[in-house]
Amino acid sequence: MLSENQEFDPQQSLRLIDEMIHKAKNRFSEDGFLYLLWGWLVFACTVLQFILMHVVHYSQYYLVWTLTWPAIIYQVYYIRKKKKQRSAKLYTDSVIGFVWIAFFILMVLLITIASRASDMPGLYQLVVNPCILALYGMPVFLCGIILRFPPLVAGAIGCWILSIFAPYVPYDYQLLLVAAAMLIAWIIPGYLLRNKYRKTFA
Amino acid sequence: MFKDLDPILHSQLRLAIMSLLIGVQEADFTFIKEKTNATAGNLSVQVQKLKEAGYIDVNKQFKDNYPQTTCKITQQGITAFEAYVKALQEYLQVGKTK
Repeated sequence: MLSENQEFDPQQSLRLIDEMIHKAKNRFSEDGFLYLLWGWLVFACTVLQFILMHVVHYSQYYLVWTLTWPAIIYQVYYIRKKKKQRSAKLYTDSVIGFVWIAFFILMVLLITIASRASDMPGLYQLVVNPCILALYGMPVFLCGIILRFPPLVAGAIGCWILSIFAPYVPYDYQLLLVAAAMLIAWIIPGYLLRNKYRKTFA
Repeated sequence: MFKDLDPILHSQLRLAIMSLLIGVQEADFTFIKEKTNATAGNLSVQVQKLKEAGYIDVNKQFKDNYPQTTCKITQQGITAFEAYVKALQEYLQVGKTK
């Protein structure tokens, strides 16, 4: 047990500093839950939209995206709950939070700007999904670097490679590329993050 | 012997608190207690001393009807911590060259 003992030498001081910094740094706070929630949800929505367009031929296929609304509400509740349970806030937690806020703003801007392109036949279909794929890579890449977690970096690079190929693929099939991106950038790293988190706190 | 070392920081528990807080944005009293393995009473006294020195900010609030104390290192605390580590390194350097 540590005390108010003043009789300790500089080497002991440095050892204590090192030990405490290590204890604080070793808190891996990312459990992968939100990656899995959004990864599976977007995966399901894109595959469902593809089925509605191709198999069922349902004209209001875009309605599947209303499934994201309850997820947004649940995410707000989940983040609030997690904040309450957290005993220490890391600098990386704040930086990662801002990365996702920037991503969300960019997504809203992209969709708003791209909706203008709907006046020009074919342009919207050509540009939106490749841009979304490129954007998906940004937060995943940054989080991979911040958390020092290579599977996220690999997933982000995967998203960017898919975004290069996407403009050469018909719009309907671009949806399957988005589903693949979810698998490599969010779902697989999400499970790996969960395993790492569980091992850290086992 | 250690006259150049900041007496506020040259105490095991206070140094441990500062070393924990330098690595995080903010931490609960319970987190610091768990990591330092100190008693609540002793920790409370040392936290107060660091606060009085201006090295940490202490925020007391209620969370789910329970009191919660959050500690955060200040810029003055960071400067003092860096100066303390530098003084330690210089001392060890002198020891090596002897």
